[in-house]
Amino acid sequence: MSPTLTETDRFAALFAGEKARLPGAGVRWLAAAREAALAAFDNQGLPHARFEGWRHTPARALTETVFEPAERPAARGGFGGRALCPITFHRVVVHNGRVLPGGEGSTLSGLPAGVRVQSLVEVLRDEPESLKTALSRGFAADGLPFASLAAALFSDGVVVRVARHARLDKPLNLLFVADDSAAGRPQMAHLRVLVLLEDGASAEIVMESVGGGRAPFWTNLLTQVSLGEGAALKHYRLQRENEAGVQTAATLVEVGRSARYESHAFNFGGAFVRHDLRVRLAGEGADCMLNGLSLVRGDETVDHHTVVEHASVGGTTRELYKAVLDERGRFVFDGLVDVRPGAQKTDASVYNKNLLLSEDADVHTNPEFKILADDVSCKHGGAIGQLSGESMFYLRSRGIGEADARRMLVYAFGSEMIERVGLEPLKEALTAALHARMPEAAEEAA
Amino acid sequence: MLKIIDLHAKVGDKAILKGLNLTVKAGEVHAIMGPNGSGKSTLSYVLAGRSGYEVTGGSVEYEGKNLLAMEPEVRAREGVFLAFQYPVEIPGVSNKYFLKAAYNAQRKHRGEPEMDAGAFLKFVKEKAKLVEMAPAFLNRSVNEGFSGGEKKRNEILQLAVLEPKLALLDETDSGLDIDALKIVANGINRLRDPQRAVVLVTHYQRLLDYIVPDFVHVLSGGRIVKSGGKDLAVLLEKEGYGWIDAEKAAA
Repeated sequence: MSPTLTETDRFAALFAGEKARLPGAGVRWLAAAREAALAAFDNQGLPHARFEGWRHTPARALTETVFEPAERPAARGGFGGRALCPITFHRVVVHNGRVLPGGEGSTLSGLPAGVRVQSLVEVLRDEPESLKTALSRGFAADGLPFASLAAALFSDGVVVRVARHARLDKPLNLLFVADDSAAGRPQMAHLRVLVLLEDGASAEIVMESVGGGRAPFWTNLLTQVSLGEGAALKHYRLQRENEAGVQTAATLVEVGRSARYESHAFNFGGAFVRHDLRVRLAGEGADCMLNGLSLVRGDETVDHHTVVEHASVGGTTRELYKAVLDERGRFVFDGLVDVRPGAQKTDASVYNKNLLLSEDADVHTNPEFKILADDVSCKHGGAIGQLSGESMFYLRSRGIGEADARRMLVYAFGSEMIERVGLEPLKEALTAALHARMPEAAEEAA
Repeated sequence: MLKIIDLHAKVGDKAILKGLNLTVKAGEVHAIMGPNGSGKSTLSYVLAGRSGYEVTGGSVEYEGKNLLAMEPEVRAREGVFLAFQYPVEIPGVSNKYFLKAAYNAQRKHRGEPEMDAGAFLKFVKEKAKLVEMAPAFLNRSVNEGFSGGEKKRNEILQLAVLEPKLALLDETDSGLDIDALKIVANGINRLRDPQRAVVLVTHYQRLLDYIVPDFVHVLSGGRIVKSGGKDLAVLLEKEGYGWIDAEKAAA
């Protein structure tokens, strides 16, 4: 890697070298879309301190590391024990940027009629035209340089299609596993996920990332969701990278008339995590609920940027993100609700609540509304607090030790978000994961 | 059981307790009465170990040990219980989980095996009946959304579960209607035992109709200025606290 190249040039050079081998390389409209995406990335460049939407989010863990395209992992298999999702769910495993076929970790037998779950590589090989609309359409990439990069460089991904009024019979777990290669160098994977639910269709999808190994692994995800009239998606995103792990994820959602999108984001580890969630309530009476819980410690950074565009009448947004920060953790929340002209009867609330356990931790919170309609109900709030001394004393006055009391209160703060998870087995796994991620400071106080 | 000698304490820069003396023996019920601002709540908090209450002089001996040297949780495990005037709401922590954690912390401290969830649930449901609390309250978050009376009953439920040797009740009667008052008094009376002691801190004599004290003390200006039997409470109710101050001034 020549030091004279600028960073975006590095990716341009990579793209030039790889493009003939990327999936769907022979498909002309796709090649054009990849070129356009690279140009959009190049246009924006890598984020820096004055980059709109990135001012409070130092991305050095990402921008100062040279990542190579992921190679086959040194070891294979053993996914069951590492996932929070139970094996009883449908499962697609994406290991180091490649979807594994059935029998090697993915279990997709017995999908109900009207439901198709395929790797992006497979669809682009067998019936690329079926994705032409979804993949060749551009998207507003402002502030999303990595979404553009994923659209240019994606090596694989998953396509989920649910036909009119069909229903996924049980949850689908998309398991993204990152492991060291034999060389042990920093690796990256650029992936796309498409979730297309036709009118009246419904599904529950759990996107889960697990970082093994020790080397940095950067997972860069672009997820696009389209919900037809009356469709419903429960979208869970559980993220557990290794200590050096990086995840950038852009999720773009289009919600049709009377459709409902529900998102639950859980961040349980990684050096640098940036999630952009953009939801467009396009049809009348569209509805979204956005939940988040981040446990941030060590030198980790977690950033959630959400934008909900109320583009039609009678839309509802319920948004609550919580974060627990320990040690030198940093958390950024930026939640914008953009009520477009004519989007009357919009009912929206955006809240962010943070619990600081350490004086060295850092939070930036910015819940915000932009309202261009007059008959709306909009509420927002951001709160940063510490454990209540009064509550601590109350618990201790009943014989509960200081460390246990702290743990109990931190758990209570976070468990509200787990309570909102509708999937019982997942709820149990998340509860266990929350206990396992309990702040170390609490244990030291024992 | 409890021996307080010449206790001085301050909150911030303000001296509140100024030489308080009190001895409580096992089996006794003491009532501490006094006007607002006399130091009643400060005494309760100092005994329970709340931070922000600084002891500047004197000593407190509990069962022969220095109470003031113990952490709040150790005091509780040793058998000291404070029923709060304003019980704290703890969203996200269920009442039964909280009670079990408290109960097992105490058992562990005594070298006894912890009680498992099933056995504890049975045990706590029996206790809830005593304070006429519906089992649904056990699944709710600690005190969250409880009415004033429900919060006080929840304090008495904790008292019934933990069975302390020394129960301090800080204005437990305030804000209760007559039915709730009877339930609360009943819960406290059930604890009366030759091995235990109760200290009731109260502004009004009303509670003492239901829990008859062995001794009544008047706290004023951070000291106990008068002690007597239960008749003293009746007199205070009728005459107010003014005559005590007058008596003090004349002396």
